[in-house]
Amino acid sequence: MKTWSVIIWMIILFAGCRKVYNPAPIKTNYNYLVVEGTINNGDTTFINLSRTVTLSGQTRLSPELNAAVTVENDQSTGYTLTETKKGIYFLAGVTLDVNRKYRLRIKTINNQEYLSDFVAVTNSPPIDSISYAIESNGIQVYANTHDPKNNTRYYRWAYNETWQIHSIFDSFFKSNGDTVLFRDLVNDDIYTCWQTDTSSTIILGSSAKLTNDVIYQNPVTFVPSTSVKLVTGYSILVKQYAITGDAYTFWGNLKKNTEQLGSVFDALPTQINGNIHCISNPSLPVIGYINAGSVTTKRILIHNRNLPAWLPPPILYDLSDSCGYVACLYKYVAPGSGITVNQVDQLINYNKGAKYPLIPIDVIKPPGAPAPIGYTAAFPICVDCTLRGTNKMPPYWKY
Amino acid sequence: MRKIYLLGFCCLFFLQMALAQQSAVKLISANLQQATIAQFVSDIESKSSYHFFYDVTQFDSLKITLQVVDKPIETVLDMAFKNTGFNYSIADNAVFLTKGRALRADLAVGYTTITSAQPAQTNTVVDYTDDKDKKVPDATTENKLYEIGTRTNSIKEGKALLSGYIRNIKSGEAVVGASIYVASTKTGVASDAFGYFTLSLPRGRHTLNIRGLGMKDTRRQIILYSDGKLNIELQEQVNSLKEVKISADKVANVRSVELGVTRMDIKNIKQIPTAFGEADVLKVVLTLPGVTSVGEATTGFNVRGGAADENLILLDGSTIYNPAHFFGFFAAFNPDIVKDIELYKSSIPEKFGGRLSSVLDITNREGNKKIFTGSAGIGLLTSRLNVEGPIIKNKTSFIFGGRTTYSDWLLHLLPEAYKHSSASFYDLNLDITHQINDKNNLYLSSYLSKDKFKLNSDTAYSYSNKSLILKWKHNFNNKLYSVISGGTDNYQYDINSTDNPINAFDLAFHINQSTFKTDFTYYVSNKHTLSFGVNSILYHIDPGTFEPDGVKSLVLPQVVAREQALESAIYLGDKYDITPELTISAGIRYNIYNYLGAQTIDRYAPNLPRQPVNVLDSTSYAGGKVINTYAAPDFRISARYILNDNLSVKAGYNTLHQYIHLLSNSTSISPTDIYKLSDPNIKPEHGDQISLGFFKNAAANTIEMSVEVYYKRLRDYLDYRSGAVLLLNQHIEQDVINTQGKAYGAEFLIKKTAGKLNGWISYTYSRTFLRQDDPNAGEFINEGKYYPANYDKPNSFNFTGNYRFTHRYSVSLDIAYSTGRPITLPIAKYDYAGSERVFYSDRNAYRIPDYFRSDFSINIEGNHRVHQLTHNSWSIGVYNLTGRQNAYSTFFTEQSGVISGYKLSIFASPIPYINYNIRF
Repeated sequence: MKTWSVIIWMIILFAGCRKVYNPAPIKTNYNYLVVEGTINNGDTTFINLSRTVTLSGQTRLSPELNAAVTVENDQSTGYTLTETKKGIYFLAGVTLDVNRKYRLRIKTINNQEYLSDFVAVTNSPPIDSISYAIESNGIQVYANTHDPKNNTRYYRWAYNETWQIHSIFDSFFKSNGDTVLFRDLVNDDIYTCWQTDTSSTIILGSSAKLTNDVIYQNPVTFVPSTSVKLVTGYSILVKQYAITGDAYTFWGNLKKNTEQLGSVFDALPTQINGNIHCISNPSLPVIGYINAGSVTTKRILIHNRNLPAWLPPPILYDLSDSCGYVACLYKYVAPGSGITVNQVDQLINYNKGAKYPLIPIDVIKPPGAPAPIGYTAAFPICVDCTLRGTNKMPPYWKY
Repeated sequence: MRKIYLLGFCCLFFLQMALAQQSAVKLISANLQQATIAQFVSDIESKSSYHFFYDVTQFDSLKITLQVVDKPIETVLDMAFKNTGFNYSIADNAVFLTKGRALRADLAVGYTTITSAQPAQTNTVVDYTDDKDKKVPDATTENKLYEIGTRTNSIKEGKALLSGYIRNIKSGEAVVGASIYVASTKTGVASDAFGYFTLSLPRGRHTLNIRGLGMKDTRRQIILYSDGKLNIELQEQVNSLKEVKISADKVANVRSVELGVTRMDIKNIKQIPTAFGEADVLKVVLTLPGVTSVGEATTGFNVRGGAADENLILLDGSTIYNPAHFFGFFAAFNPDIVKDIELYKSSIPEKFGGRLSSVLDITNREGNKKIFTGSAGIGLLTSRLNVEGPIIKNKTSFIFGGRTTYSDWLLHLLPEAYKHSSASFYDLNLDITHQINDKNNLYLSSYLSKDKFKLNSDTAYSYSNKSLILKWKHNFNNKLYSVISGGTDNYQYDINSTDNPINAFDLAFHINQSTFKTDFTYYVSNKHTLSFGVNSILYHIDPGTFEPDGVKSLVLPQVVAREQALESAIYLGDKYDITPELTISAGIRYNIYNYLGAQTIDRYAPNLPRQPVNVLDSTSYAGGKVINTYAAPDFRISARYILNDNLSVKAGYNTLHQYIHLLSNSTSISPTDIYKLSDPNIKPEHGDQISLGFFKNAAANTIEMSVEVYYKRLRDYLDYRSGAVLLLNQHIEQDVINTQGKAYGAEFLIKKTAGKLNGWISYTYSRTFLRQDDPNAGEFINEGKYYPANYDKPNSFNFTGNYRFTHRYSVSLDIAYSTGRPITLPIAKYDYAGSERVFYSDRNAYRIPDYFRSDFSINIEGNHRVHQLTHNSWSIGVYNLTGRQNAYSTFFTEQSGVISGYKLSIFASPIPYINYNIRF
C-alpha cells in the first residue's frame, strides 16, 4: 500500500522524522549466490552471477567467476554459456521452443551445483507505445501494451535512458603532451556528449484483474523538471518482459522488501523465494528468478522544445559548483620571487611536468600581443564530457 | 430541608439543656381563627416554655383554627395539625414541626443495644418494608438510620438480603462498580453494570461504606430486619482533580476473586497526557502492565502476548471492529460520553467469549435524568459537544455526543506534495435510558464513527463503524435479574480511485454482526452467585467487492463470496464463597460455531500443503446450510484465598476460542485489513492461560500492590505465506499458515490511590514467541523454531503520577520505557535489477532501540462554585517532553541505486498541546 506510506510521511513531516540509521554492522559474510537474467528467446542471453556481500562492506559487487552455466530444456538439450566479463555469462541468440520448458544449471568453482525450476517460455507482446505526461514538476513516462490472446497478464519493464550533456567549458584547444594545439571540433568534440543509465527500480504491471489483457499507462519512470536529463533531449528505451504469475510474486516481494519499506502499514519483510535451488545444499538460500521468453523494446525521444518552461529550469551543469578555470601563462613571474615559470608546461602539457593535467579551454592573447601568452584551463571533469558519457551521437538521436 | 437539618443540630444543645432543667408538664389554652403558623407558634411560645422549630416555607399554606383550654401541649398540637399532613415531635422544651414525616426525637432503636426490651414507638417512623406497593426509598443521608425489611421488636437470628440501586444524586445515573463494604462482617459487594447490588448480611445494625468512582465516599446506617431494598444516592465529586484512581474499590484489590482486571473512570483517563491533548481511552490501556503495542499511532494493542485482533472491544455491549480514528492517532471513543473502561486480561467472565486475549469493556454514561446539561471541548485538531437531559423527568433520559476534526488546516501547511490531501473523521453517540418501572429498564445505545481521507493521489479511503443495541433489564425479585439485549454492529471500508480511467475501481469490505444475548444473575444465597445465559452472534462478511468505476474502466468485477456464520454459546458460572477466606469462581462456556452457506468449499488432500494442485474437490453449499460446526467448551476458573486483612493470593485458569480472524501482514493493524471467519479449512484459534497473583494493600488501603505471573498458549494463530495476497483472495486458505504461540510474564504494580500525590508504577517482564512448524504449510518461518512476536517487549516500565497542589491545580507526569520491539534486519547486500538490494535475516532476529517517552500536563479547573452557568477547565501539556526520537521502525531502502538504512520516528519532538473544556 504505497499510498499509506504517503499519508504517514505526511504526518511524520508534522510530528515525526526519518533519520539515517546504521545498526551495529553485521559481520558475517554469508556469500549467497545471486542469479540474474532471462533465457532470451531469439536474442542474446545474459546471466549475471554474483555473491552477496556484507552490508557495511565497501565492496558493491562480488562476481562469481569461472562457473559452468548451461541452459537445458525438459528434453535435456543443453546450451553452454561462456563468461564474457567478470560474472557475466552469455549465450548467442537461440530460438526457444514454446512447447518446451527450460531451466538453468550452474556449477560453481567451489563445486556447488545449482538448478532452477523448469520455466515455460513466455514471449512478450509488442509494446504498443511509450507515452509521457507533462506534470507540474516533471514528466511521467508510461508503457502501454496489450495481448490480444489475453495470455500474458503479468509484465515487467526495465529501461535504458540516454540524454545529452554538455561540459561546463567549451574547449577549443588540446594538449598533445608537449604543446597546445587547436582541437578537431568535428571528431574530437568534448563539449557535447550523451550519457546513459539503466533502470534501478523494479517496474511491474498486471492486467490479471481486468477483463482484457490491456496495460494502459503503467508508470515506468518520472523525470523531475530540474533534472539535467531534460536540458536538450531525453531518450528512453523500454524493455518489456512477459513473466509468469509466480515470477510476478517474486519481483513484487523483492520490490516490497527493498523499495517500499519504512512506513507504518508496510508489510513485514518476507522471505524471497526464487526459483533457483542449491542441489548440493538444499537449505542454502539462493537469490534470483529465471524466466524464459522474448523481450520486446520500444524507444522514444523527447525534445526539450516540446516541454514547458518549468521554474526552476533544469540544472544545466550539475558540476558548476566545483568548476572554475585558471590562467596558465608561458612566462609567469611569481610576485616578489623574480623567477619565471612556464605554467602551460607545468599544468597542461603532461609530458612536460603536468602531474594532474588540466585541459586548455581558450587562448590568452591580449590586444596587440604578437603571440598567445597562455591558455585558460580547467579540470578535465569540467571540460571533457566523455568522462561521463560518449561523444559519439547515438543513431537514434534524430529529431 | 437543609434548614431542618441545621435546626436539628441546634436542637441537640437545647436537648442537653432541657434534660438538665427537668421541667414540669404545663397546660396551655389558645383561641385562634385562621391563624398562620407564625401566629400560632408565637401564641404558644408566649404561653409556655416550648420553642418551635420548623421550615416556614412548608407551612405557608397552613391556616389553623383552634379553641382549647388547659390542655397538654400534645393535645393542642394534635388538634392543630389533625388531617393536615403535618407532624410534630417534642423533645422536652423543643417542638419540631415537619411535613409528612415526624422527626424522631428519641434515640434510635439499637443505638445503645440492639435487643432493646422497650416496646416499639407507636408514632410515625417510616417503615421500609419489602412491601411491593411501596416505593423504594432513596437513602441520601449519612447520619440517618434506615430500617430495612419488616420491622420486628427484636432482631432475629440469621441473615437477610439487601438489594437496590446505587445512583448519582445529581443525574440519576447508575453508578457502576461502586463498592459497598461492611466493616463489621468484612463483606463487600460491587454494583453491576446497572448500579444494582445484592448483599447478604446478618440481621441487625450495620454501617455500609460506599465508594464509587468519581463519587464522594459515603456511608449509610441501616438496621436490617428482613430482606429488603435500599437505593443509595451518591454525591458527585465536584473537584475532578482529586486523585488518580484505577480501582473503584480500595479493598477490591485484595478481596475480589478476579485477577488481571482493571477499571478506570474517565476522570483518571483525562488526566493522562496524550499527543494532541485528546483524552484517549486506548492510550491509557497501554500504560497498564501486560499491555503493549508495536508502536505509537497504532490501532491495535497486545495483551499478554496476544495479537491485536484477539481483544474484544465492547462499547456498551456493541463490538467495535476499528476502535481508532486517523490511522490510530485517536481512539474512536468520545471522552465526554465514556464513563469508564474495564480491561480483563486474565479472569474473563463466562459471559464474554469469542476473543483469545482480553475484553475491553467501555461503558458510556447515562443521560442526566433530572436536568439538561452539556459540555463542549476545543482542541488543536478536534472539537466535541455533548448534550444530555431528561425526556421524562426521573424516568427517561438521553445523552448525545459528537466529535469532529478540522485537521485539514494542518495538512495545508505541508509541502506541495501533500497539500491537497484531506482527512476528516467524526463520531456520534446517542444513548437513551428509560425506566419503565421499578423492575424494568430499557437502554438504547447507538454509535456511528466515520473516517475519510483523500491524498494528492486520487485514491479516496473511508471506513466506518455503526452499532445499535437495545438492552432490557428485568428484576424478577431481589435475587434474580436478567438482561436481554439485541443489536447489530457494522464495520466497513471503501477505497476508490478514478485517476486512471482504465483502472478506475471501487473496492469495498463490509462486516455485519447481529447479536442476541440473555444474561441472568441469580443470587442463590450468601455463598453462591450464579450467572448464566445464552449468547448468539450471526456474522455476515463481504470480504471484498472490486468493481469498475466509470464507463471507461476495464476493471473486471470481482466479488469474494459473502461468508456467514453463527457463533453461539451457553454459559453457567458460580461464585462460591466457601469460607470467608476462600472464594472460587468457576464457569463453563460452551461454544458452538456453525459456518453457513451459501459457499463453495475446496477440499485439500490431507497432509499436503494447501495449494491449488492439491485441491481434491470443491463443494457448493446452499444458502443457510450448515457447512461445518466447531463445538468446544471454555473453562473459566479463579480462586482467592485471603491470608490476612491486607494480603491475598489468587489463581486462575481460563480457555478461550476465537472464530473470527483479522488478516493483516503489516506490523500494525491497517485500515484495509480484512476479517475472515473460521471455515472447514481455517480452524478456530484456541488459547489458554494460567495465572497466579499476590495482592497486598498497605497504609489504610491507600497503597495497593500486586504481583501476577502468567503462562499462556496460543494455537492456530494465523500467519501468512511469503507474498500472501490477503485482499480479494478467493482461496485465502492457500495463503495462511497456522502458527503456535506461547507467552509468559510477570507483572508488578504499585498504586497509590489517595493523597496529594497519587498514581501507579508498573513493571512487566514478558515474552511472546511464535512457531510455525506445520510441515503442510509448504514453508517454515525461521526453520520452524520459536521466534519472538512483533510485540515481544521483555522489559516494560510505566509511571503515571498526578500531584494536586490545590483543588484547582494539578500536574501529571507519565513515563514509559520498554525494550525495543523485534525487527527483521538485512544481513547482506547484493546487486539486482540495476540496484543494490538487501537480504533479510531470520524473522525478528534483531530489535529496534529501546523506547522511552515522558509526558507532562497541567490541569486547571475553573472555580469550584457548584452553582454557576458554566464550568470550564484547561489542560496544557507536552507530549514526549524530552523529544526523544523513538524508533517506530528501521528499514533499509534503495535510494538512487544505493542501500541506506533509515530509522522512522513518530512524534519525534516535544508536542505541546492545549485543550479548553466547558460544561453547562
